[in-house]
Amino acid sequence: MDSENGTVSDAVKVLLHDIPRERGQLLPALWRVVEQYREITPELIGAVSESLNIPYAEVYGVASFYSLFDNPGGKMPVYVCTDVMCMLQGSENLKHAAESAAENGPVTIRESACLGQCDYAPAAWSGARVLRRATPEEIVSVVKEAGQ
Amino acid sequence: MNQVRRLLPDFGTTSSPTSVERLKERGFAEALRKVFAMSGEDIISQITESGIKGRGGAAFPTGLKWSSVYKAPGETKYVVMNADESELGTFKDRVLLEEDPLGALVGVLIAAHAVGAKKAFCYIRGEYRDVENRMAEALDTLRSQGWVGPDRVDVQIRRGAGAYIAGEETALFNSIEGKRPEPRVKPPFPTIKGLWASPTLIQNVETLANVAVLFAHDTEWFKQYGTKETIGTKLVAISGHVKQPGVYEVPFGMSLTDILNAPDLGGGIAGSGRLGAMLLGGAAGTFLTPEEIAKSSLDYASLGAVGANIGSGAVMVFDDTVDLVGVTTRLARFFAEESCGQCVPCRVGTQRVVELIENDGIQSRPQDLRELGLAMRDASICGLGQTAPLALLSLLDRPELRQHA
Repeated sequence: MDSENGTVSDAVKVLLHDIPRERGQLLPALWRVVEQYREITPELIGAVSESLNIPYAEVYGVASFYSLFDNPGGKMPVYVCTDVMCMLQGSENLKHAAESAAENGPVTIRESACLGQCDYAPAAWSGARVLRRATPEEIVSVVKEAGQ
Repeated sequence: MNQVRRLLPDFGTTSSPTSVERLKERGFAEALRKVFAMSGEDIISQITESGIKGRGGAAFPTGLKWSSVYKAPGETKYVVMNADESELGTFKDRVLLEEDPLGALVGVLIAAHAVGAKKAFCYIRGEYRDVENRMAEALDTLRSQGWVGPDRVDVQIRRGAGAYIAGEETALFNSIEGKRPEPRVKPPFPTIKGLWASPTLIQNVETLANVAVLFAHDTEWFKQYGTKETIGTKLVAISGHVKQPGVYEVPFGMSLTDILNAPDLGGGIAGSGRLGAMLLGGAAGTFLTPEEIAKSSLDYASLGAVGANIGSGAVMVFDDTVDLVGVTTRLARFFAEESCGQCVPCRVGTQRVVELIENDGIQSRPQDLRELGLAMRDASICGLGQTAPLALLSLLDRPELRQHA
């Protein structure tokens, strides 16, 4: 992901230029990095560490705690809720349909704990969009769209 | 009509949820003017008089909490709105923030003025991106009206990133501070040492919305609904096998049967049409049998008699075909996944529960499961570990619910 103008470290510095160099800004900073790169690699952790002047181990400890930052490979994640209420409404079918549609493509399917959409189970979430009372057909089209 | 519309706006409301018009229509503009002319003591005594209790699950008296932060020594104080709604089956704060985001935010401003805080944070789970956007719009409206800003109260939104434990109040502070969201040992309590070791008032979204409607009206109005012990209304999130899943506002004291069956509430049992069980209060809640449901109402004493708690207001309904042992296994996996790993009873206990259920079944070693569950309840640092075994223990106590095991 190196650009012509410099290394990842420089790119991250530019990305975080308006974020104050404070420990309390680590979570917003990590969000910005994830929205840009879709994953947090050791290299990116190093860049955030340098940029905010927080030790590498501390940044790693925080970044690795959160499931929404856990996306090795950096594919576009689509989350299928497989918690109790969605499970009762057929989240397994939804997940399988999504997985087949995503195979060998740029999208990855992840299971999610309760998405807080139990009144519209089964639910899925593409980061931007919540799918309510999702059908296998619908999730397949979302996976295809997300991959374009 | 069984449902009430107070925290949720009237059905006829047409103004945009984040507009200045809505702020006026709901009486919030007037409430802010009134409150900012009052002293902290007067605001807090009105809160105490109203009898509001925390709606996030613990039902701690709100007036007492505010008074504790008010009296706590310290130059800098904070107010935090907890919108990290991640409890299984809980989605009331999502609906409340979708339908009336200004209410809870007005509650934040009232709280900040009352306890003397200049800075507030609204912490919302990362999966609620649409709700976060709406909250930001509502905040802009309040800013444009001069209620939010460096000279009044500076309010920042913080987005969580997928950690159930971050909803625990002290873990949430660590998350805002840029640390791992692991719970802290209490005491000291947040009212004395919260965010950056300063006195901090942290409240659930629904509690803050209650504060806003209280000051948009008065104490007499506020006390029109509820029971002697528990004043006001509660948002319940009904999901599963009911005809009309959704969030409904009901007075405390309403029978669980009405909540499930009334035509303007749950609308009756779906699925097989026969009620099998209810899981009340989320993943850390209690399973109730149809007999227990029939004799219980939405109040702490009534539910306490059957060993249950309102919790966050999650009402998960199962028809009589659902394998509740399977449900409990899913819950056990959830807790094992979400345990932060800081303390042994929770880190090891949640894993052992999964192994015991998956390898041997819930029937084979009930005594071991029970002892493990009690050790977790007694020895874990925070609410997650303490309450993780509750649903399982409630199922062990109700053999009639395990016909599928």
